[in-house]
Amino acid sequence: MFRRWFSAGIATRRLVVLFCAAVLLVALAVRYPDAFHDANDTARANAALDQVDRAVGAGNSVFPDQALLVEARGLIPPDESFAVAVGPPQPGWTDLTANGADLFLRSFLLPRRLDPEARWIVCVGCDRNDYPGADAVWEGEDGLSVLRRES
Amino acid sequence: MTARAILGLAALNGAYAVLGVALLWAIRGLPRWTDVLRLAGLGYLLGVAAFGVVWTQLLVVGVPLGGWGVVLSLACGTSAAAFAAVLLGRQRPRGFGDPERHASPFAVLVTAAGVSLSGLLLEALFRSARLQGLQAYDAWAFWVPKGKAIYFFGGLDEQVFTTFPGPTYPPLVPILDAASFHAMGGADTITFHLQFWFFVLGAVAAIAGLLYRHVSAWLLWPALLLVLTVPRVASHLLVPQADVLVDIFFVVGALLVALWVRDGRGWRLAGAAAVFAGASVTKREGLLFAAAALVVALAASFGRRRVAWPSLVAVGALVAVAAIPWRLWYRSHGLGGEAPSDAVLGGSLDRVLDSLRLSADAFFDTTLWSVVPVVALIAVGAALVWGDRRLGAFVAALLGLVFLGGAWVTYSYRDIPITANESVNPIVRYTGALVLLAAVTMPLLLTSVWRSRTEEPP
Repeated sequence: MFRRWFSAGIATRRLVVLFCAAVLLVALAVRYPDAFHDANDTARANAALDQVDRAVGAGNSVFPDQALLVEARGLIPPDESFAVAVGPPQPGWTDLTANGADLFLRSFLLPRRLDPEARWIVCVGCDRNDYPGADAVWEGEDGLSVLRRES
Repeated sequence: MTARAILGLAALNGAYAVLGVALLWAIRGLPRWTDVLRLAGLGYLLGVAAFGVVWTQLLVVGVPLGGWGVVLSLACGTSAAAFAAVLLGRQRPRGFGDPERHASPFAVLVTAAGVSLSGLLLEALFRSARLQGLQAYDAWAFWVPKGKAIYFFGGLDEQVFTTFPGPTYPPLVPILDAASFHAMGGADTITFHLQFWFFVLGAVAAIAGLLYRHVSAWLLWPALLLVLTVPRVASHLLVPQADVLVDIFFVVGALLVALWVRDGRGWRLAGAAAVFAGASVTKREGLLFAAAALVVALAASFGRRRVAWPSLVAVGALVAVAAIPWRLWYRSHGLGGEAPSDAVLGGSLDRVLDSLRLSADAFFDTTLWSVVPVVALIAVGAALVWGDRRLGAFVAALLGLVFLGGAWVTYSYRDIPITANESVNPIVRYTGALVLLAAVTMPLLLTSVWRSRTEEPP
């Protein structure tokens, strides 16, 4: 058997295959435990979050206070529309607040549609004088509020 | 997260698998229950692709997607496929065992180890997915809102589909998201991550099932497990975007075509047509991948072109028919096309070289893909020298073409900077398809080298 193996190039090509398999196995021995631990760590980290943190997801990085998202979802009926008004950046805002708030709210609040003339206004540090007659239905910190105006 | 949502998702994905297995029964025949089990993963992907492709066309013509629509389309599709199977005289599956493969105890042991390790990893990923919040930018910025829009409004809502980022991206993943929301009973953007876990499960089962008869178990499982665990793949498997699914469709389709190049069995091309059509409405590069695979298949089958080329042209036509209506829809809504600024010429030679260098850097980056690309290239070389040369040439040409495609993307979109930074250049994301292709074809190539008799003494 060994004579046959080492004759006429069989050994060479099989050694190449064995080499490839060995490299794959060594790499797998290094990578598998890491990938397995990473998946378990992520599972533990996700389980440690509360339901609101999970539901808000990336919103925690966009807004200084997740309460705005929770309140907007609770106050604005699903079949109504809303406007987003973003003012100048304020202390406490994240790097993403000014530029990402509008898009995140449009995504998060679906099926509520975006409409600049809507009765509901999600105010992110906006100037309330721009919305005369609008009442604050909810007010938080860092200039966050939900306003409603008469239709 | 509720048990009801998880059960709903499991039922939906089970229905995709039943639809796909019925399609396989029609196009291939499933003589034994072992065949059903072995090809269930492939069947699942065929079911997902068929469902997504059909609903893409239905949404484009204005048919609303609702809960009953999902149920009816799956039931009708499965019935039609089963009816076609009966018409074509396919026998019902009978008995177990695999007369075409007699596994040694060593192969059984390796397979058991591979299945166990895959199962352990998938179990950990399942726990991770079921409580995962929506974090990735592209996911919350447009993929998931599009799925929500289909779920809430029943169709391609003009406001969401034309004003959110990525308006020209095809709608297959949002359609599957919407179907999963219906199955869960609400737009649960936490539990729905499990839908992407099912895609991974289906892909592992499909690749292992497709290769089982063609490769040695000790070459299959290390390659398959390694590609699941390399840093860039492992960290992105469950991100609810279209990147992983388009790669899966492409690689499974390429694998089917590679096996077809070897044995010419027509059902493989029919299966490839379904997954390539799926890829074409999953992401824009899906079209590029499908075109590359078909072009290489045309060249590889030159020797039997009279028989092979009409079939390949038919596959190409089916992919085009699947892809065009969505493109017509977004053009009719005033959206710009997907064409790059410098499609062929117009950019500088420096940019060409920089783009090629960036693609090479991304492909050979061991911090992203471990040793997969390097070992794959050795496998290609070994197959070209000692193994199945036609298969080796097919894989080499396809890898080369897809590689050049990535460089072309960087080169031709002038606003994309030459960098591997994923937030501004898609090259790393794109390279995932290349690495996955390299990994799953590796066992085929190495097995052909191991078993080759070309240099054995008489």
